[in-house]
Amino acid sequence: MSFYSTRSVSIRETLASLNWVIILLTVTLGLIGVAIQYSVGGSSFSPWAWRHLLRLGFAVAAMIAIANIPLRSIYKSAYVIYAVLLIALVGVELFGATRMGAQRWLDLGFVRLQPSELMRIGTVLALAKFYQSVYVEDVSKLRSLMVPIVLILAPAILVYRQPDLGTAILLVVTGVSILFMAGVNIRYFLLSIVVLLASMPLVWGRLKEYQQNRILTFFDPERDPLGAGYHIIQSKIGIGSGGLSGKGFGDGTQSRLNFLPEKHTDFIFTIYAEELGFFGSLALIALFIGLLGAIYVVTREVKSQFSRLLVAGLAVSIFLYVFVNLAMVMGMAPVVGVPLPLVSYGGTSLLTFAIAIGLILCVDRQPTADIGK
Amino acid sequence: MIRRRETREELFTRRALIMGAGQLGLFGLLVGRLQYLQVNQSARYATLAEDNRVNFEPLPVARGRILDRYGFELAGNDQNFLVTMMPEQAGDIVDVLNRLRRIIPMSDRAYQQTLKRLRRNPKFMPITIADNIGWEAFSRINLEAPFLPGVNAVVGQKRLYPLGPQSAHIVGYVGSQSSRNGRPVRYEFEGRAGLERALDESLQGEAGNRRVEVNAIGRIVRELERREGVAGADAQLTIDSDMQAAAFRALGTHSGSVVAMDADTGEVYALASAPAFDPNLISVGIDEKSWSQLLNDDHKPLLNKTMAGQYAPGSAFKMIVALAALEAGVVKGDHKTDCTGVYEFGGQKFHCWESKGHGLLDMAESIAHSCDVYFYDLALRTGIDAIQHMAKKFGFGIKTGIELSGEKAGVMPSRDWKRANYDAPWQPGETVITGIGQGYVLSTPLQLATMMARMVSRKANVKPHLLVREEENTEPDEETLLDIASEHLDVVFKGMDMAVNQAGGTAYGSRLSVNGLSMAGKTGTVQVKRITEEERESGVVKNNELPWHLRDHAIFVGYAPVDRPKYVIASIIEHGGSGSGVAAPIVHKVMETMLRLDPRSRVKDVERS
Repeated sequence: MSFYSTRSVSIRETLASLNWVIILLTVTLGLIGVAIQYSVGGSSFSPWAWRHLLRLGFAVAAMIAIANIPLRSIYKSAYVIYAVLLIALVGVELFGATRMGAQRWLDLGFVRLQPSELMRIGTVLALAKFYQSVYVEDVSKLRSLMVPIVLILAPAILVYRQPDLGTAILLVVTGVSILFMAGVNIRYFLLSIVVLLASMPLVWGRLKEYQQNRILTFFDPERDPLGAGYHIIQSKIGIGSGGLSGKGFGDGTQSRLNFLPEKHTDFIFTIYAEELGFFGSLALIALFIGLLGAIYVVTREVKSQFSRLLVAGLAVSIFLYVFVNLAMVMGMAPVVGVPLPLVSYGGTSLLTFAIAIGLILCVDRQPTADIGK
Repeated sequence: MIRRRETREELFTRRALIMGAGQLGLFGLLVGRLQYLQVNQSARYATLAEDNRVNFEPLPVARGRILDRYGFELAGNDQNFLVTMMPEQAGDIVDVLNRLRRIIPMSDRAYQQTLKRLRRNPKFMPITIADNIGWEAFSRINLEAPFLPGVNAVVGQKRLYPLGPQSAHIVGYVGSQSSRNGRPVRYEFEGRAGLERALDESLQGEAGNRRVEVNAIGRIVRELERREGVAGADAQLTIDSDMQAAAFRALGTHSGSVVAMDADTGEVYALASAPAFDPNLISVGIDEKSWSQLLNDDHKPLLNKTMAGQYAPGSAFKMIVALAALEAGVVKGDHKTDCTGVYEFGGQKFHCWESKGHGLLDMAESIAHSCDVYFYDLALRTGIDAIQHMAKKFGFGIKTGIELSGEKAGVMPSRDWKRANYDAPWQPGETVITGIGQGYVLSTPLQLATMMARMVSRKANVKPHLLVREEENTEPDEETLLDIASEHLDVVFKGMDMAVNQAGGTAYGSRLSVNGLSMAGKTGTVQVKRITEEERESGVVKNNELPWHLRDHAIFVGYAPVDRPKYVIASIIEHGGSGSGVAAPIVHKVMETMLRLDPRSRVKDVERS
């Protein structure tokens, strides 16, 4: 395996070393996104499709670039990346631009960043690095549990305060999943579930009214058919009216007609399902399953705990976004404002998933890399 | 060390497999949900989606215009800027209405009423808040549209009547079509009176409709399907706007009417009833005060007196009595009666309008001087049956069938009629007063014009009409010819000629000459109030000293030119005083214009060009 340590690697060899299954699945999903943005834009490349395409090109380039970073450097800088993003989150708290009622962007002048999106990667990196140096006997010891819990809760609380409950919950769930895969005793998870349920009333009181409404309406959309429940009802009508084979690409009516808010971002699947129907929806889900499957395959080949947990953690993160988004638009989860990976419009979101997949490709290229200890 | 790492890897693999299985399970849940939505419930959601996005909208078509014989608009269409509100979209109705109020002024009462209407009507139906708002308010509303949800400033149609009151009784007016059973309105207007009402169906045309896709707030996004309607058909009338104007000028401030028509074809050139109203005001929605003023006016401006006003024909009926007598062979034209100013029958005194008496007069002279005694005697000799029979030939007691609703038939009494209506036998004394067109006889100005047209054209079937017909048969044929001997008609014509053109005739003051053409006709003065014997003793009170409503009705029916009649005009002025003093001069003015304009030839000119 001296292949990887050879300094003069040709471009051809570099490309050949990449996991093309993952890249192709990623690009396919991204292009599906472009196609739907085109449809949502009224069969027009403006205002969304061409920008999504442009960003997709940039994202793929970033992905391949990240894939070529030595894994060792990534391992070394994991905590630094985490710290920088945490500071950025604090920055959002202090100077964040408010958009749609939530402070999620950090305006750096030339680019608006959404650190909460990037933070999922930062947290996975930090946790993976932490567990690289923990012996399996110590994993469930309280002392070794303190650091990961802080690593998870610190960004989660900041994201929650933006306020972005959805992203905060996904951050916590991703982190806890890594703890689970790292081998933390099952009893802790059962205990946490009990504690979580017990603290529900307390958390409920601290939720913003619109968050409470979203959850209440989730359980009973008819409660407010023209208000908070409206989006869910309209989205279900959109998906349901698509039927088996859909209304045809570009011929969706329900979802393009402003019945839905954020139709090009969070509710993009509604348009997709309406226009391409049940079969089209199954195909999209199959693509996501294929992508996640290909990522899990990577974990089988790598040797370090850092590599395994990094890849698996990122996979969990991608899965959670796919699942929560689809469940949300189908009326199975509250409207929490989670994009559909690679498909939804949005620069930070697309870039974040590209970075995540880039990191996975990076691990895949260097399965036996000596990352030091 | 190696063992530890393997254990860590094994642990990870087991846990990762659990995670993967869980994820697959969750994906299975999503697929299940998808199947529920897109397969099991698909039909239901498809229906919901259809409801959500498709609206049926009527496409109003232009209402047909009403044109005079030369194509001049009597009723046309104009733009009307109006503002509507859909309560469903507006959300807070009160708030939106208050904002709107800052742009278009609205009285407190109108505001409350509008609010009530908005709350009562179906939420998805646009309610008209105000119309005729003007260009400025229209553009301001469009400008402030983002702050006025559910409010639409739209360009609608407005009915326009260029002649205003002059054509009011012919064209009538329209009203906004009210929604019925919550269904959207298909046409903007519906005819409420006059030809607008009578011709409503053909003027409306066939409204089209379109299926439109709307977004969540009801704005139209695109059109799915459009079925164009058929524009309403224009209606061309026989009316000559200039004649109509002349008739109104002649009527002045009187309460009365003028009918001018073609003697041969029955084409109505002018149909004027005064006072009139402005249909432009009524069509846009007249205020209650003005409306009740119109309703309560004793000059009855809303009534079309030419066809709905019934008056005793008075002396204008004498031609009928004369013809009945001649045709029945009771007397000949040279039959004379000595008028002493009073006629006694059955112990009752019947007075002549000339209390001194006319002396010895023949039939034509009696018509010229309108001697009452001569016709008291003649009527009695002829009998009510023959008079009634003759009167029917000329259309008395029968609707003329003009294309307007509300026409009255008048009354031509007979023995049967008396029995049916009064359950009493006919009295000979009633025949006497029928001889001078009083008593039970009632006729409309349109009937008098028709009578005269049939008489001078010698055509039995002449009927007045307002709509231009494809073929106007001007050549008389055997079947439609009046079955009255020419020499008998000539007696009547002679009398009417003398009445106007011979010194001493009742309408001598209204004689005229246009390019050597002159007019003939018959006056009539009808008592409204019974004159008692005491009043006769002390001298009859002059008409202009009586209160308006007790004064005599003034009547004149004329034709011209005398030798080859083309036109007839009838006029009745309510409480005008006397036929010779008021009605004849009015007909004189209109006839003068008619002979100058010569509408019958004018239309031919238009056809040629």
